[in-house]
Amino acid sequence: MKPYDNRAWFLVLPALVIMTFVGILPLVAVTNYSFQDLFSLNNPYWVGLDWYRNIVTSERFYASLLRSFLFAAIVLSIQLPLGIWIALLLQRSHRFIVSTVLVLITLPLVVPWNMIPVIWLNFINPNAGLAGRLLAWLGAGFDYKFNPLHTWIVLVVMDTWHWLGLVVVLAYAGISGISPAYYQAAAIDAASQWQVFRFIQLPKMKTVLSMAVLLRFMDSFMIYVEAFRINAGGPDSATAFLSLDLGEEIQAFNYGPSAARSMVYFLIVLTVAWTFKAATSTRAPVAMEPAK
Amino acid sequence: MKSLRSLGRIALFVVVGAFVLVPLAQTIITSLVSTLPRAGITEGHFSLVNYQNILHSPILKQSILNSIIYVVLNVALCLGVGLPAAYAFARYSFIGDRQLFFLLLVFRITPTVVLSLPIFVLFAQIGLENTPVGIALVHCVFNIPIAIWILEGFIASVPREFDETAFLDGHSLPGFFFRHLVPAIAPGIGVAAFFCFIFSWVEVVLARILTTTGGKPITMAINALFGFRTDFGLVMAMTVLALVPGMAMIYFVRNHLAQGFVIRT
Repeated sequence: MKPYDNRAWFLVLPALVIMTFVGILPLVAVTNYSFQDLFSLNNPYWVGLDWYRNIVTSERFYASLLRSFLFAAIVLSIQLPLGIWIALLLQRSHRFIVSTVLVLITLPLVVPWNMIPVIWLNFINPNAGLAGRLLAWLGAGFDYKFNPLHTWIVLVVMDTWHWLGLVVVLAYAGISGISPAYYQAAAIDAASQWQVFRFIQLPKMKTVLSMAVLLRFMDSFMIYVEAFRINAGGPDSATAFLSLDLGEEIQAFNYGPSAARSMVYFLIVLTVAWTFKAATSTRAPVAMEPAK
Repeated sequence: MKSLRSLGRIALFVVVGAFVLVPLAQTIITSLVSTLPRAGITEGHFSLVNYQNILHSPILKQSILNSIIYVVLNVALCLGVGLPAAYAFARYSFIGDRQLFFLLLVFRITPTVVLSLPIFVLFAQIGLENTPVGIALVHCVFNIPIAIWILEGFIASVPREFDETAFLDGHSLPGFFFRHLVPAIAPGIGVAAFFCFIFSWVEVVLARILTTTGGKPITMAINALFGFRTDFGLVMAMTVLALVPGMAMIYFVRNHLAQGFVIRT
């Protein structure tokens, strides 16, 4: 057990001061704006819940919400199994191969987010891009600008390119933390590869994987910069996700409505985080204590 | 049978590697091509003209400097406040520790676009807009949680007796931190610095809203290059340059990358 000592607060205090300044304070401000009509910041006019009412009664909000959920679901169902699979294969590989693959696969993580769509638009450009020319040569009729399905494919493939590395790193971290004794025991029991995965590796990876699920869910659910650059929510709003609506309002400096929208999204984040915590805390006594 | 398996495995790794590298390769190639009509160079020919143009542009050079300033400041800040906090979480329980941890989680996953409006207003009021210092501060909102998580995992894997021996030897808390703890968890500090670095380096929503008229980092300087007649070669050359520090960081932490996440959430 960890000793109980409230003086530990002094150690946390510097971090808390900064978090208050850049996180909590802005949140208080945005809550305040969300109840007002702010033509300019000096002329607030109290409108109560009007902005919220506008959001929750608009069909557009629910359509975007659905699209965002769908996108996050697709992204997770591709990246999670793929990432775990690669990590499992890595675990059986030579050290040199492991570090080479990890270095390669994390490369896209260091690309600035506004450059990711630029790189991909360049890549799928039918006149100059490698993939674009290949698709044109194959006669695939690929048209990401006007075919909604094709826009979705570009977004999903691009997001997988961008984020697969994070899932692999996390999954591999989980696997490499497993003691060899478990595998020896499994070998004695003549367990199949699937059984080893299902009853040893997967449970041991649970914590890191839940982290991966949480991070990947939130980031794809609220995808903004990348999705906007590819097709600006088009064609015909087919890729208009939640954050695109918010981005539009902020760019137009509609303080009140965008503040209310920010609050609605923050409440979604809070719900997700709380669900996540509730789902993982069932094993908290094990998970929260050092392995020692 | 076994060699066939490992061959299949290698084949898959090659496919994954190609999937990652091919779009990047195209970027690098474009950065080496002159994409606008210029005297002396045929359009579409290979040349280093884009990289030379970066060297000749004070704005682009300044943006590289701005990026380095804010990212170094941010990493230093996050490690500086994250290390004691991580120590507190790893070694003690105290009133509200669970709630505080939850708060960190919430702010880590809050999309930056949700906070961008109030941060813009707040930072404009206290004069922190258009400066790298502002970006360094604001990126703490998602990087302090990361630093604390990773460091906490590393500190928790150091046995408690390690601390107690040091304190018995008469070390004060700061003395213990710098002389014993920091060397003991050096890989962890490297990994935390790496993740703080990349998440700060690639973030654009807050960086954009805070640098509308000045202090632009690389990412925003690239955005500004788009116009009526965009010089794509130049854009790609800047993108390639923006990748270099991240790639160097990956190389340095490559053997500890996975270790950093063997943590409890």
